[in-house]
Amino acid sequence: MAQGDSVAVSIVRIARALTCLLLLTALGGGAAGSAQGASSIAENIYAAAPPRLLQIRTLVADAGQQASIGSGFLVSADGLAITNYHVISQAVLEPKTYRLEYATPDGGRGELSVVDVDVPNDLAVVRLARRDAPFFTFDGAAMEGTPPKGERLYSMGNPLDLGFTIIEGTYNGLVDRTYNERVHFSGALNPGMSGGPAVSAEGQVVGVNVATRRGGQLVSFLVPARYAASLLQRVREQKSPPDLRAEVGRQLAAWQSGLYRSFAEKGFRSAALGPYLAPETVAPWFNCWANTNAGATPKPRASINSINCKADTAMYVAPDLNTGAIQIDHSYVKATDLNQFQLATLLTQMSQPRLLGGGPFRKWYTPQRCHEDFVGAASASDQPPLRVVWCAQAYREFEGLYDVSLTAVTQDQGSAALVSRLSLQAVAYDDAVSLGKRFLQSVQSSK
Amino acid sequence: MIWVEVLSRHRDVGSRFRIAASEVRIGRGYDNDVIIDDPYVAARHLRVFHDEAGQLVAEDLGSANGTFLDGGRERLARFVVDGKHPIRIGKTHLRIRDVNHEVEGERLAATEWQTLPVVAAAALGASLLGLSALQIWLVQTGEMRASGYLGPLLGIVAMVLLWAGIWALMSRIFSGSAHLLRNLLITLAGGLAFSLYHEVARLLAFGWTFSAAAAYQYVAMWLVLAVVCFLHLREVGRTRLKLKGAIVGALFVVAIAFQTLQRSEAFSDDGRQYRVHQLMPPALRAVRLTEQNVFFGEIANLKTRLDSDRVLARPSETAR
Repeated sequence: MAQGDSVAVSIVRIARALTCLLLLTALGGGAAGSAQGASSIAENIYAAAPPRLLQIRTLVADAGQQASIGSGFLVSADGLAITNYHVISQAVLEPKTYRLEYATPDGGRGELSVVDVDVPNDLAVVRLARRDAPFFTFDGAAMEGTPPKGERLYSMGNPLDLGFTIIEGTYNGLVDRTYNERVHFSGALNPGMSGGPAVSAEGQVVGVNVATRRGGQLVSFLVPARYAASLLQRVREQKSPPDLRAEVGRQLAAWQSGLYRSFAEKGFRSAALGPYLAPETVAPWFNCWANTNAGATPKPRASINSINCKADTAMYVAPDLNTGAIQIDHSYVKATDLNQFQLATLLTQMSQPRLLGGGPFRKWYTPQRCHEDFVGAASASDQPPLRVVWCAQAYREFEGLYDVSLTAVTQDQGSAALVSRLSLQAVAYDDAVSLGKRFLQSVQSSK
Repeated sequence: MIWVEVLSRHRDVGSRFRIAASEVRIGRGYDNDVIIDDPYVAARHLRVFHDEAGQLVAEDLGSANGTFLDGGRERLARFVVDGKHPIRIGKTHLRIRDVNHEVEGERLAATEWQTLPVVAAAALGASLLGLSALQIWLVQTGEMRASGYLGPLLGIVAMVLLWAGIWALMSRIFSGSAHLLRNLLITLAGGLAFSLYHEVARLLAFGWTFSAAAAYQYVAMWLVLAVVCFLHLREVGRTRLKLKGAIVGALFVVAIAFQTLQRSEAFSDDGRQYRVHQLMPPALRAVRLTEQNVFFGEIANLKTRLDSDRVLARPSETAR
């Protein structure tokens, strides 16, 4: 819902609609380079940008036309540039089908190749055949900690393939309740600007344009500059370029293992929900919402109060795969006017085992396998008997990663029940089992 | 005096000839006593007469296609006619009887309406409707509406009447009697059997965590349908029951195989196992609680299956 709606998602569609405007775009770009005698900061910044700012196009190799577009910026004299991973992901995952090309505001264009990627932070380093070109440097304050909230930032890129633009916005600190650090930037980022730089008044990079929140107003996100700087550092140190396709899987697995380790460390605490205690995560990067059907018309025959917690941990892996989300749902259902069978029917509907969808099944996943049973606690505890369904599917491409869902329905009374669900994406199986165990143990009666 | 009866395909009497002479000639030609308009019958095909012992004897007059007993494969040149087994010449069936042929005793007519089948049909119908209404009621989680009950129940009534009616019509056409009540009984019993199976399967899926009974419900449905069809066919005509049974059986084996194939292909398309997750009131649990550690042990075993799925899925993936 949030950052997952990355800017690149709708680019393809828009790019097709705008193909006829391409020529105009090129002309506009040339004219913009001649802006001089600037009076505002933005004018000055933009005037200096042209040779360092890039539009990055992913072309269908055989057709020779762009399939998606993004932006990027040079960060070294020897032609290294930073962009988003999602801008160049197709070329990384399907190198035979796609190739990359860049264009600068001053009319330069040429081939480029991917050197390294940072999938969790949605960054990539690409190399251009350019020597001794001017480049952007990183902002010192942004590298160390946090610039002051409210600082003016200037973001550049080529939105919707309409031509290079500079927009003004405000730095609003890091986003609350996220696992991946993101800068909250209040400015109008648009598809196509992904990978472009957001710079301070001095023209130094503070962040990399990455995403915008659909349904919000000017709510946009940047990847903090220090991740770009450390990726660049890694590129400088590496001796031979990695096998990028394998690297994507490796980074995903490593990142997810860290994520679930920290999720497990935080653990669960019990929160009261009706007469039950439901496991609630302590991890700060969950966003929880409550829901009730109390006001529904016609008057519901069972009252349903639910808590829905989502972690904004899904990351972009491929155009058709976003994965890594964690979700915890609890619903306390109490029959007001339903008999036990009718309530059971309602619970059946609510507890259907389902996995969070990350991408198309046939491309990314193995078939789903489930196991269902009545489960009781080993020792005499406050745990009610449970009906538990566990469903899991493996990733075809990424060894050792699975999507898992665990659904439990309490079985201690016929007129009310707690339906709890834990959904984990891209998790190692053993991690999932131990998390599942702890989750089930925390489902208790509060008597 | 001899009676010659030409039978229909269903072995009903089509036409009957009274021959006053002591000998009958049967064939296609006009010099016969009984003329059979069957191109497979010889012009002079059969002669029937009383021999010295007074028995009725049939003699083939040298036809090309021969003379047989109904259902027999042995070609008969001369044989004693017993009046019970039909004789086949060409494609025509005949029954030849002496005047002395003994007929069965008079069947007693029911003095009043047979109440048992009517009561049975009413009881079955009421149970089927009652069970259906109960099923609707127990899964009703929203507002109760009369049309929510009436619609499905009227649908069931219409279906039952239509189905039984079609079979009664078939019986009427092929065997002359509609047997409406019997066909109705068969239909109702089939419907009730399936409804009951559905409930039992749900109970098994929940109480015994045996979801296969519900997941393979379609097999039970086809089996019930097969038995129902066979019984209806039996009402249409009680001949060649084995053949009818075999045909019905084959059809339903094909149906079950096809549906199984369809389901396994759907599974490989969307990756979701067809499974039944069914909850019922907790009091209906019939198995013991599994200890948590045992449960998670089972779950750990699932990993092996997932990994082997993955190995199977890889080849197409690497080809990309």
